[in-house]
This record gives sequence, C-alpha cells and structure tokens, in this order.
Amino acid sequence: MEAFQGIRQEIIERYSILADNPTEFAKSIRSPLKQSFRINTLKGDKEIILEQLRNYDHGIAEVPWNDNAYVSNLNNLGNSLEHFVGQIYIQELTSMVPPLVAKDVIADNTVLDCCAAPGSKTTQIATMMQNQGHIIANDCRHVRLKSLRGNLDRLGVTNTTVTLRDFKSFPNTEADLYLVDVPCSSEGTIRKKNTIARMWKENDYERFSKLQKGLVNKACEMAPSGSTILYSTCTFAPEENERIISEIIGEQSVKLKSIEINGLKTSHGITEWRGEVYDREVEKCIRIWPHHNDTGAFFVARLEKC
Amino acid sequence: MLRKLDPERIGLLSEYCLGRFGIGPERLEDYKWYIGSKNRVYIGPEELERIRPESIGICIFRLDRTPKPTTNFLQLFGRYATKNIIDIQRDEAIEYCNGKNLDPDSEPDVDPGFVAVRYKNRLLGCGHWDGNVLKNQIPKSRFCKLRFL
Repeated sequence: MEAFQGIRQEIIERYSILADNPTEFAKSIRSPLKQSFRINTLKGDKEIILEQLRNYDHGIAEVPWNDNAYVSNLNNLGNSLEHFVGQIYIQELTSMVPPLVAKDVIADNTVLDCCAAPGSKTTQIATMMQNQGHIIANDCRHVRLKSLRGNLDRLGVTNTTVTLRDFKSFPNTEADLYLVDVPCSSEGTIRKKNTIARMWKENDYERFSKLQKGLVNKACEMAPSGSTILYSTCTFAPEENERIISEIIGEQSVKLKSIEINGLKTSHGITEWRGEVYDREVEKCIRIWPHHNDTGAFFVARLEKC
Repeated sequence: MLRKLDPERIGLLSEYCLGRFGIGPERLEDYKWYIGSKNRVYIGPEELERIRPESIGICIFRLDRTPKPTTNFLQLFGRYATKNIIDIQRDEAIEYCNGKNLDPDSEPDVDPGFVAVRYKNRLLGCGHWDGNVLKNQIPKSRFCKLRFL
C-alpha cells in the first residue's frame, strides 16, 4: 500500500506541470475508479441486457461520449450472470477510446491488432464489426494468449485469427487498420485497484520507448497507402507518446490526422518535455487526463499511410 | 496446427446441430470450418496466406465417439435452439456455473445426450443428461461464483 502511495506521489510530481489543473489532477490520481463496462451486442440486445443488469445494479450510469459504455455501482461485475454468458465486458472507459477513434474504418474491413492480449479492444472491435470482416489478433507471449482466447470465446467472437509472433517479425500483411496499442509504463491505470503494483523505475521509459518505436515502425512499414495506424498507450510519459510519434512522422511516409470524440474532453499532444522539442504536428494527438472525464489516462495518435 | 474440415464432416455436424438442437444449417453456413489438435472443430473467417494461426474463430465441437458441443457454441448459437434444452432455477444456476452436477426434481423433457442448459432465457452452456443427472460440461476455466443473477 505504501509503495502505491509512493508511485501516486511520483506521478503527481512528474506530470503536474503538464496538467491544466494540477490540484484536480492530484485529487483524481488519489481517488479510485468505479468499474465500467460495455455491452456485447454479439450476445443480445443492448436494452434487454441493461434491463437485466438494472435488476441488481440500480445506479448504472451512461457515459456521454460513448453510447456503449456504462459505469457500475458494483465493484464485482465479474460475478454476474451477464459477465458469465459474455453479454458484458468489464473495461476501463479510456481503453474503449482507440476503437472509437477509428470507427469509420472498422466496418467489414481487415484489422490487425498488433499487441492484442487480453483482448479488450479486439473484442470491442469485433462487436463494432458485428463479427463481420476479419481481425488478426497478435500477441508475442504465449501466456497472454490464454486470456485473449478466453475473452474471444466468452464474448462469442468468430471473425478473429489469433497469432503468436513478435510483431517486429510479423509477415507483411495488408489491413485497413493497424491497432498498435503498445506495452507501456501504464501510469494511467493507477486509479484501478491492484495495478502497476511493481516498483516504478525512471529507466522504464527508455526501455518501453525503444520497444514502442519498433512496433509502430513495423506497422507503418507494412501498411498500404491510405490505411490507418492507431497508436495508443495508457501512460502520461511523453517519452512513450509524443516522442515516438514525432520521430515516426519524421521517418515514415505517414501523416497525422486530427481526432475528436463528441463529449469527451481531451487535450492535445505536447511539443516540449524536459528539453526535448517535438514536431508541432503532434498536437493532433490526444491526451485524456483523469480529472477531465473521471477516467484513467490515455494517449492516442491516428496516422494515415501516404 | 489447424486444417480445413472436409465437407462430409461439415455436413454431418450441421445435421447434428439440426437434429439435436434444431439449429438450422443457415446459422453456420457463412463460416469456414477447421479441425485442430484433440479433434477440436472451429468455425471462423477464411485463413490468411503466410500467417500461421494459433486459432481461428471459436471452437464449437470436440469430436469423440459423438460430437460434443462446446459451452462457447451453445452460449452463442443456443438462442436458435428449439429442443433438448433444460431450463433450471436460480439456485441451480448458481450451482451449475460453479461446476456442479444437478439432480433435477422433475424429469426434463429431453433425450439423453448433450443438452443446452438455460436460465431465464440465458444459455449457460453445455450439459449431459443421462436420464438421472445433469452432468456439468462447463470448462473449469469458466467456473464462476455467481453473485448477481
């Protein structure tokens, strides 16, 4: 518990300078998140499932910026019948953002999810596709495929091929959307219980940064002209966010696209951090701050291959 | 390693779905069928060139002496089932989802063999009715202590 407090304090100290309201930012980092979920419409009608849930959770709240996201008053929806039969998926609200950003290129298309486990976004995309089209869900660790497979099975996802590869050596594959939701220092999940319990080290940024650059580079290299590459993390660290995107747009034939989700308060990407200066284009990326929407934190960049 | 399932066995499994559960072949006709290790049958999208999959789509059967439908299959397609369904009560659903066998008070109107187990219109998964006991067929990894239902 003490280690947790220490990590929270370090996050507050490191990023208060970037937050528009440091007091609110610090307050939100210290307060736990409520459990959120989405309805899996592959397994039934949204309104009927919600009605069932409201039989025992009278305080289910809708989310203004996502028509399939809800916040529960319970903290153990994993013990519900709806969870057991795959009618709901427990997912942090900001984790639902990347598929929404690429909503226009998802339907009936081919999606390559480069780092898919445990499958939150893969299953969300499959629901948005209504099991049409094709998702290639890749992960590099065998142990993580178990949770990915388990979630695909429980939610009844039939349009997915699961692969086990280090994405940097993945065979060139044409897709309409490359989802590069990379491993990261996960600071943005600090409000969830039992998360980032490991000790947090400054040099993790460099380690993750190198890995992330390799992954998004590979996606940009194999992407055909006109396709979309979504890069996302759940960390505040500019080393893992704007720095990566700034370098990628300088090195690859890609351009950044603006992002807007109605009702979701975001801030734009930053162009300076601890002596580093980034390409001004990275302002088109979005940062989601915990105190803006009462969520975790996220970073999303939408790139288009030229 | 997955390989395509031959059309003859696809036909037999489709007939089984119709004969045993009343699930029409049209529910499964848009899928490609595969068979993998331990005689597991999958349905999913077309396989891709140059990509070696770990799995495709979902596993719907395990072939033994007779086809054994999976809980995943019945949870997804069970809503189209018209027969060999056993409806259970709240306390029984809690027990069943936690991996227990059930001994129903009254004999259900089903043929012995694999059945779909249902609670309040929700398909919980696969069971095996031997005429006396409803044997639990839910995989251990899916066992759950239900608190909200």
